[in-house]
Amino acid sequence: MADLSNLAGLGSEPSGQIDSSVSSASNRSLRLAEKEKRKGEADPFGLAVKYLSQVEAGTVVRGNDELERNMVRVETVALSKGLPPEVITVLLDLALSLNAGTANCTRVLKFLIPATVVPQEAIVKGVSWLCVGKMPMNAQVLFVRWVLTVFDLIDCKDDLRSIYGFIFSFVTEENLCPFICHLLYLLTMREHGELMTKWFNFFGRQPFLTQLLALYKVFRPDLVTLSLPSRVRTGFKNHNSTWKVALSAVQRKNKGAVLVDQSLSLDVKEKPSSRKRKLHHLAIPPLTSAFDSNSSKKVLRLQELRSFKELLENIHNIELPAQMGSLLGSALALHYLDCVQDESAFLRLNFWLGHSLQEEFLLCPVDGSSDNTSEACRFLSTILFSQQFLQEGFSSTESFLYKFLSVWDGCLLRPQILDLLSDIPLMPSFYMHKLLFEPLKQLYFTSTVFFKCSVIECLNSMLVKWLTWHSVSASEGGLDISLNSNSSMTMTLSGFMDSVMELVRFVGLLASEGLRLESCHVLLLNQTLAFYETVCDMFLKFSLPLIIMPPAGVFYPALFATDSVSVDRLGYIMYRYRKNLTLAKKQEQQREQTFHISRNTYKEFNRNLQAMVNSMWNSWWCVPGSDIEIDKDLIALSKVAEPWCRFDLIHHPALFSYAIEFHQRTGKYWNWYMEFLFNQGFYGLNNFIQTNTGHGSTLNSQEDGQPKSQP
Amino acid sequence: RYICCWYYPCSAVNTPASRPLTRRSKSYGRSCVEAPSYFWQTPGHLTVLKVPTSRGAAKSQLITNKVDPEHIALLVKNEWKLSYVTPLHHFRHTQLKSYSRHLAAFIAAENQQGVAVEVGLEAGFKVTFTAVLGLAETDEDAETVFIQIQSKPAFAAAADAPKVVWRGWLTCVNGDPEYLRSLPSDFVSLPLFCTSGSESLTTLVKTWFERAFDCNFGSLALNSTTLNWLAALWTGCHPTCNIRHLKLAWSLPTQPPLDVSYTVNPQDAWELWNSIHPEESTDDKIDIKEVQSFINGLETHFFRHFKIYLSAGTLVKVSTALGSAHLDGKIKIGNSDYITTLLTLLTESALLKMPT
Repeated sequence: MADLSNLAGLGSEPSGQIDSSVSSASNRSLRLAEKEKRKGEADPFGLAVKYLSQVEAGTVVRGNDELERNMVRVETVALSKGLPPEVITVLLDLALSLNAGTANCTRVLKFLIPATVVPQEAIVKGVSWLCVGKMPMNAQVLFVRWVLTVFDLIDCKDDLRSIYGFIFSFVTEENLCPFICHLLYLLTMREHGELMTKWFNFFGRQPFLTQLLALYKVFRPDLVTLSLPSRVRTGFKNHNSTWKVALSAVQRKNKGAVLVDQSLSLDVKEKPSSRKRKLHHLAIPPLTSAFDSNSSKKVLRLQELRSFKELLENIHNIELPAQMGSLLGSALALHYLDCVQDESAFLRLNFWLGHSLQEEFLLCPVDGSSDNTSEACRFLSTILFSQQFLQEGFSSTESFLYKFLSVWDGCLLRPQILDLLSDIPLMPSFYMHKLLFEPLKQLYFTSTVFFKCSVIECLNSMLVKWLTWHSVSASEGGLDISLNSNSSMTMTLSGFMDSVMELVRFVGLLASEGLRLESCHVLLLNQTLAFYETVCDMFLKFSLPLIIMPPAGVFYPALFATDSVSVDRLGYIMYRYRKNLTLAKKQEQQREQTFHISRNTYKEFNRNLQAMVNSMWNSWWCVPGSDIEIDKDLIALSKVAEPWCRFDLIHHPALFSYAIEFHQRTGKYWNWYMEFLFNQGFYGLNNFIQTNTGHGSTLNSQEDGQPKSQP
Repeated sequence: RYICCWYYPCSAVNTPASRPLTRRSKSYGRSCVEAPSYFWQTPGHLTVLKVPTSRGAAKSQLITNKVDPEHIALLVKNEWKLSYVTPLHHFRHTQLKSYSRHLAAFIAAENQQGVAVEVGLEAGFKVTFTAVLGLAETDEDAETVFIQIQSKPAFAAAADAPKVVWRGWLTCVNGDPEYLRSLPSDFVSLPLFCTSGSESLTTLVKTWFERAFDCNFGSLALNSTTLNWLAALWTGCHPTCNIRHLKLAWSLPTQPPLDVSYTVNPQDAWELWNSIHPEESTDDKIDIKEVQSFINGLETHFFRHFKIYLSAGTLVKVSTALGSAHLDGKIKIGNSDYITTLLTLLTESALLKMPT
C-alpha cells in the first residue's frame, strides 16, 4: 500500500485514517505510519474516502454537494491511479448497500478500478448484498460483470468457493444467468461437479450454460451426456468492456503489479469438428473422459491440465482419456504420452491409428475420396509431428507403410509419406528387402529425378536416426539392443551392423543406377554425397565400427563432376574416411579389439584415394589396373591434348573457371593458386589436399601410416 | 497372399507410479516384425492372420439347446449389415444395464444438440443391451451382445407399445484363438458387428462405442472366396436339411453391366458337390480347392448353356434356405441350426480386417 503511493509519488496519498476505519491488517513501519498520519489531515483523497465510508443509509443524495465533491475526488484518483484494496472494500460496500442511492451505486461500480488486488472479503460481502435483493437488476448485472473483470486480481478465492451454493442460486435469475455461469465456471472445482444433478430442468441451449455443463461433465462424466452442435460458439463473452480501458491504463502505470488477463474467455477443449464427414476416421478425437471413470478417486483428467507445471505435479494420478487418439491433439498430452507405460494404452492408440490409416489409404472408402487430400495431409502431418516429438515411430504407422508402399503411386502425399518412412525403426535385414527395398526400388526406377532425390534424402535421414539411436543405446550400456521395450526380441550388434550395411548397400545401388539413368543429375549427386557424408563418419560420430566405401558408380561421377560443390564434397568425404580408418586402425592395434575393418575396405579406400590424388594432384590420369583404365588409342581418337592433366586442380571442369579467374588476377605461383582456391570456400578439398599431400595451408601432414597413397 | 503376424501377450499394466520412469525404446505398441512371424504382402490388403485353406463341413446343431430360443429368434428375422470392430477396451458384460442408460442418454443428447441430458432419464429412446449366452464356441470367444433401441413417441398413447427402431449385435464365434489370447485382459474382442435399422442410429451407436470403449468401426465387405465357401458349405447340408435352392448372382463387367442370376436345383447342386467331396469321405475337412472346383463346375455348366464365362465376372450373392450373403456385407440367417458355420466364417473375415 504505502509502497504503491510512494511509487505514484503525487500528492494525494491515502491516509492512515482509512486504515483505522477499515481495520486493515497492513504492516507498515511505525515511522511511515506517523509520517502519513501527519500528512493525513492534508490528504484530500483520504478525507474523501473517510467521508464516503461514513455515509449512512437514508442520506439525502440529491443536491448533496459534499457527497458529490468527495465522490468526484475519489473517482479522479481511481481512474488515474487505481484504488488500494481497503478503499475497494469501502466503496463496494457503499455502492451495494445503496446508502448513496441507486445512481451512485452504478457510478461507483464503474470507477472501481483496483490498483493492485481486490480483497476477497469485499466480494463475499458484495454477494451477501446481492442476496438481500434490494439492488435493481442492472446494478446486479454490473456487479457480477465487475467481479468477472477483476477475477484474476482477487487475492484468494477459498471463501468465494465456499459460498458457491449461494452464487449458484442466482442461475435461475434470467438476466444474471450468463454472468453467473461464467463466474461459476471460473470457480468450479471437482466437488462442485455434484451440483450438476440440480441442473437438468431449466435449460435451453445458451452457450454459457453449455460451457458450464461441459465443465461439470469433465468432473462427472457418468452423470451427463452432452453433444455440442458442430457450429456452436465456444467460450464466454468478455464482460469487461466497461472497465477495460481504465483498468489497462492503471495497470500500465503500476507496472510490476499483477497483470490481469484481458481475455477472460477460456477455451473448452471440446473442439467442434469443422465439417461433418460421413466417415470421420481422419479426425483426431477430442479429449474426453470415459463415462465409467472413477469420479471419486483423486485423479486428474488431461483436459483439466493447463500447463506443463501442472502436468509435472500430477504425473502420477492422471487418467487416460476415453480415446487414446485424442492425445495426439495436444502438445501437453504428448508430453504425458511420452511417459505412459501402460501397454493397453499403446495398443488402443495403435488400433485407432492403424484403423484410420487403413480405412483412408488401403480400404479406400468410395465416398468423397477426391477432395480429402488436404484432410489426409493434415492427419499425416499430425502423426509426423507426434512421432518427431516423441522421437520414435508408432508401430501401426510402420506396418501401414509396409502395406502402403506396394500400392503407392509415389505421388500421393509424397513428402508426408517419405517423412513417415524415415521414422521406421530398425529392423532385421531379412525383412528389409521384402518390406522396404523391393517396393521402393520399383517406385524409384519408374519416377522422376526429384522423386529419386527425395528417396535418397529419406533413406539418409533414416540412417541418421538409426545411428543416433544406436549410439544412445550403446552408451546406455550393452551391445544388445532391445528392438522394442516389451518384446523378447533383441538385436545383436552384428545384427544391427547387418541392417545398416544392407541399407547403405541399397542406397549405393539406387544412387549409382540413378546417376547413370539421370546422366549424373547434379541434385541427385548432391543428395547422394549427403548420404555418404553420413556413411563415412559412422565410426567417429556414432561409434559404429563399420566403414563402407561408396561404389564406383558414385565415386567417379562425383570426382569428374562439372560442379565444384560435388567435387568439394567428395574431398570432404574422402578426408573423413581417412580419419575414420586411421582411428579404426589405431584402436585395432592398441587394444586388439574383436572387430576389424576388412582389408578390402582399406584397399578400396586406397584405390579411390589414389585415383583422386593422381588425377587432381599428380596429373596422371589413368593408372593401369584401376577402375577406369581406358585404352590409349581410344583416348587418342578423341584428340584431346594432354588428356592426363584434364582433371588436375587447374583443368578440372569444376575448377577451371577459378583457375582462369586466378590467372587473370596475374597469379603465377602454385601455392598462391592453392591459397586462392581454398579461399573460395572449398574446405573439403582443402582438408583433402592437406591430409593427403601435405600441401595447402598451415597444417602439415604428420599423419600416420595406414591409408596412404603412393604418388 | 496374406500377411501372417502373431500377436504376443504383453506384460502387466504399468503406470508411471508403479515403475521408475525409464525411457521407452523404439516403437509404441508391438513391433510388427516380431520373432516367428513372417510377412506376406497383398497389394492394398492386409491381414493379421492366415486365411485357412480348409475347414470342417457345416454341421447342424440344435442351437436352441444352447441359446435362449427367444434370443435366436431375434437374430434370424432380419437382414443384417456387417461391420468390423477393433477390440473393445474396458467392455464388461456385467455393466450392460449401465451401458443401456448411457447409450440412451447419448442418443437423446445427439438428437437435441447442445442440450445436456441426464443419464438415466428416459427420454424418447429406450436402449436394451442383452447378453446372448451360448453362441460362443470356444473359451476365447466373448459372449455375444445384442442391442435393441425402442422409440417412444412423445405423443403416443399410454397403451402404445414402444416401437423397435434399431437392432444390432456384436459377436465372436470361433475367433482365432491365437489372436484372442494375445490381447491384454482389459480388451474384449467382438469383431463382428451386425446392424439393422436406420443408418443414422447405426452411426450414433458406433460413435458411442468408439467413445466409450476406444474402438473403431469399419464396414465389412465380404470377398468372393467367402461367398464360394458359403455356397459349398450350404450345399453340403442338403441331405440333412433341405436348402430348397442354391441361388447365385454374378455381375459381369460388360457395357452395360450384365447381372446374372443363377438358380440351381438343390439336388443337382448337391450331386455336383458330392462328386467333388464325397459325403462318406473319411476326411471331414473341406479344402479350398474342392470349393473352387465346385464353383468351376457350376460356371462350366452355365457356359455350356449360355456361352458366358461367369468366371470373368464377380460372384456377388449366394442364397439358400439356410441364409444369404451379399458381397457388400449384407447377410440373412435363414436357419438357426447352421448359424455357427456362418458366424465362424464372418468372424474370420472381420478379424482379418483388424489393423496391425
